[in-house]
Amino acid sequence: MTQVLEGFLQALSAGLLIGAVYGLMCVGLGLIFGVMRVINFAQGDFMMLGMYAAFYFFTALGVQATFGNTFGPFVAILLAGPVLAVFGYFVHLTLISRVSGTRTSSLEGEGHYAQLILTLGIALILQNGGLLVFGSVLASIRTPLSSSAWELGPLFYDVSVFINKARGIDAVVSLVTMLLLTLMITRSRIGKSLRAAADNPTAATYMGIDVDRAHRIAFALGTGITAIAGGLLATNYPFHPFVGVEYVIVMYAGVVLGGMGSIIGAFWGGMTIGLVQQMSTLILPTQLQNAAIFVVFLLIIFFRPQGFFGRMVERT
Amino acid sequence: MLHIEGLTSGYSIPVLNDVSIKVEEGQFVAIVGPNGAGKTTLFKTISGIVRPSTGTIRFANQDLLSIRPAQRAHLGIAHVPEGRQVFPSLTVMENLEMGAMTEAGQRDWKHNIERIFEWLPILAERRGQFAGTLSGGQQQMLAIGRGLASSPKLLMLDEPSMGLAPTIADFIFERLIEIRRQSNLTILLVEQRVAEALESADHGYVLEAGRVALEGNNQTLRADDRIRKAYLGM
Repeated sequence: MTQVLEGFLQALSAGLLIGAVYGLMCVGLGLIFGVMRVINFAQGDFMMLGMYAAFYFFTALGVQATFGNTFGPFVAILLAGPVLAVFGYFVHLTLISRVSGTRTSSLEGEGHYAQLILTLGIALILQNGGLLVFGSVLASIRTPLSSSAWELGPLFYDVSVFINKARGIDAVVSLVTMLLLTLMITRSRIGKSLRAAADNPTAATYMGIDVDRAHRIAFALGTGITAIAGGLLATNYPFHPFVGVEYVIVMYAGVVLGGMGSIIGAFWGGMTIGLVQQMSTLILPTQLQNAAIFVVFLLIIFFRPQGFFGRMVERT
Repeated sequence: MLHIEGLTSGYSIPVLNDVSIKVEEGQFVAIVGPNGAGKTTLFKTISGIVRPSTGTIRFANQDLLSIRPAQRAHLGIAHVPEGRQVFPSLTVMENLEMGAMTEAGQRDWKHNIERIFEWLPILAERRGQFAGTLSGGQQQMLAIGRGLASSPKLLMLDEPSMGLAPTIADFIFERLIEIRRQSNLTILLVEQRVAEALESADHGYVLEAGRVALEGNNQTLRADDRIRKAYLGM
């Protein structure tokens, strides 16, 4: 009995910790796909680039030497965020802006068809380019914290829960990043103008908002956020140039689960996926983890088609 | 203040043909005409969403056509678009803040918001509500409030009565006249409700099939036989 309980609590805590990072990962796509309504299938590969950026910052660019083995990885991860944001900014400037924003606002489908193909193309280039540049060997950003744990408890009887230290810090970094981003989107002028530009690009132009610039900022932010989440995942999971494919579907599921257009929703969507994934191992073989995610996804969407935080608002 | 000369504009085929319109400071000018006459295209050309093929638009002695669309609001042009076009997933207050994205709007924010709430008290009542959940009349008032929040030099209203019940449309007209009386704002109004529009405006233009068919001040237009027959039903 205590063993079952211990297993349950262990899976629950692992689910919450990994869910927090998945949540952040989904928030990145939530900005681009949920808020600005731009389809981006390269988001997983932007995340892969974020992982490699953090990896090279840590190993080759002196972060390890300066900040040490224990906290160096987290510094490197936080540096990878802005770098990928700049990368996202230029990808938008040169490519995505041609199939989104004011250029396509009056077209049927608002440029979604072109976005689909363009970003799939970018994804392929990044994956195969990654293979050329980084090689196919698994890489990881290990810290000594990845293999040590805090023991919570014994909570009652002799049940105690072990929290992996790296995952614990990952979750905290995720929550703080998420909080800052939410404040920015909901409270700041620039955040509000992003939402206005997404709601109605023409009317936003009438207000004096540069809609294409708003799109570019959102795209850069979304890329940077997902890159940070990728770096955090890499402290526990090894990665390779094709790792993005595994995550991009999870990201879309998280954004839709949380409700289109809601940043907080995307976070809870990712959290749900993390929880389901970890908890499912209690009763199902590990190979069925991803199947379990989508069974739960379908169930939730069946009962709440607009997602957790989605609003059934008529778009004027 | 707004001088439009020989404007030809439209999409793949021109909708407006050689249109010239003048709005002087402090004036209330109405442009009336049937559906498809090119009224909305005219507004979209002024705001830069549609590019003209020939003609000039000068606003406050600047060549408006050389200025990027998103910059035009910052010069003092507030466009209250056809069909209201509020931001549905933003609250009423956030919609008003979006109106105040211009420098003048930010500077005068406190003063403006007080006056807007005084003129359109329903907006104060609904300030935390998502704009997409407002009724049509409330959305129209929000669109007008949003326009006023930018501290505009020129307020352009595109069919504020569209799709509204007659009593609500009347109420909105009554509010507009009151706002004008108190603020002395320059207003350019496009309207299908010809009688109300010509009654409240100083000067009017009749746009038919993309051309100015008739123009004149309030009294001459309302006395014109063609107008009386075609639009006023007399």
